[in-house]
Amino acid sequence: MKALGSRLMASGLGAAATLMLCACAVTGVGVEGSVGYDGGYYEPYGYDYGGWGVGYRVGPGRCCDHRDDHHDHPVGGGRVGHAPAYRPAPAGRSAPSIPGRSRGH
Amino acid sequence: MQCIYRRGLTRLLVSVLILGSAMARGADFQLPALNSPASTEHHPGKMVWADLVTPDLAAAEKFYGGLFGWTFQPIHAGDINYAVAMLDGRPIGGLVQKAIPAGQHQQSAWLTFLATKDLDAVKKLALSHGAKVLSDVKSYPMRGRQCVLSDPEGAVFALLASSSGDTPDYLAATGDWIWSSLHAKDAGAEAAFYQNLLGYDVFDLPSDDGLEHLILSTDDYARASANDLERGSARRHSHWLNFVRVASAAESAAKAAALGGRVLVEPRVDRHGGMLAVVADPAGAPVGLMEWSDSDTKTEPK
Repeated sequence: MKALGSRLMASGLGAAATLMLCACAVTGVGVEGSVGYDGGYYEPYGYDYGGWGVGYRVGPGRCCDHRDDHHDHPVGGGRVGHAPAYRPAPAGRSAPSIPGRSRGH
Repeated sequence: MQCIYRRGLTRLLVSVLILGSAMARGADFQLPALNSPASTEHHPGKMVWADLVTPDLAAAEKFYGGLFGWTFQPIHAGDINYAVAMLDGRPIGGLVQKAIPAGQHQQSAWLTFLATKDLDAVKKLALSHGAKVLSDVKSYPMRGRQCVLSDPEGAVFALLASSSGDTPDYLAATGDWIWSSLHAKDAGAEAAFYQNLLGYDVFDLPSDDGLEHLILSTDDYARASANDLERGSARRHSHWLNFVRVASAAESAAKAAALGGRVLVEPRVDRHGGMLAVVADPAGAPVGLMEWSDSDTKTEPK
């Protein structure tokens, strides 16, 4: 009788574990994080998000913009003439623009 | 004795069912697929999604709906109050309501999601290059896997490995995301960081202001820019900024103000010859406005 009880308990625990795993798999929760959504983050308050000066251009150019490979302007606190931290695109290539193909065409 | 075991087993199963039910309730939150039907395209480094965090979801919906013509599909799951922003029947972003803790001054903001194929490898690379994890990898069955990081200068961004492929490379429709710019204290160093992660080609463009303005590209398409923040202000904070395509930056900026927002950068001519502006929504979240005439991309890159 005791053995039967133990088997029942073991089966129950097995079923419980299976159910938990199924719940996690179906919902995508548990294996890689807690329940909820963390897709929004507040930024610190009181910083500048504008105030751009004249000539401050941030958008893409049209195909294909002339490049500045000389690195002779004073950037990043005076890195005049220094090699940039990034690997520049191969010389001779112009900066590309954004996709121009319209949907449905 | 058998009766005791049965009672124990019954209690155990009931507990499991209650726990499972609670988990399922909390996890009803399902993000839509990026592409339906699924795309086979993958474009690492492309901005493919954005999430706004705001203390007032209804006010945000009114603002963005009025400004860009977006419609919204609510998702309520547990404590999560989220709305999917739709344009022409396509999901293009999300708005999530989160209360700002009492006594804290925080800035509402859009979170930029950059596409990647191998999330784990890119996350590992990011951490080895000075990034920090803000929200570790999570899976959403239809969406894919994503995590939120801050880069070495503290700019917050997310990585997304979409399970339905990345959005195809079309010219953004009016009302859709068209561009992203990173504003950093050292644009060159930041460009190097993102290049290591996502394989960008980096182009240094001539500038009139003595600051570094870089184009980050993949697949021979410009994906984003990295820009030195203006010097001279102690209130500089590295951040990503996303732009929506509009027919008229001036008209949209005026409309944003009429809808309760404010203008952060007055409409101005940018590199491509069209106008752009930056506005803040009623909760202060910055969003860019960019004109782009179809003739602005006459030539497809090779």
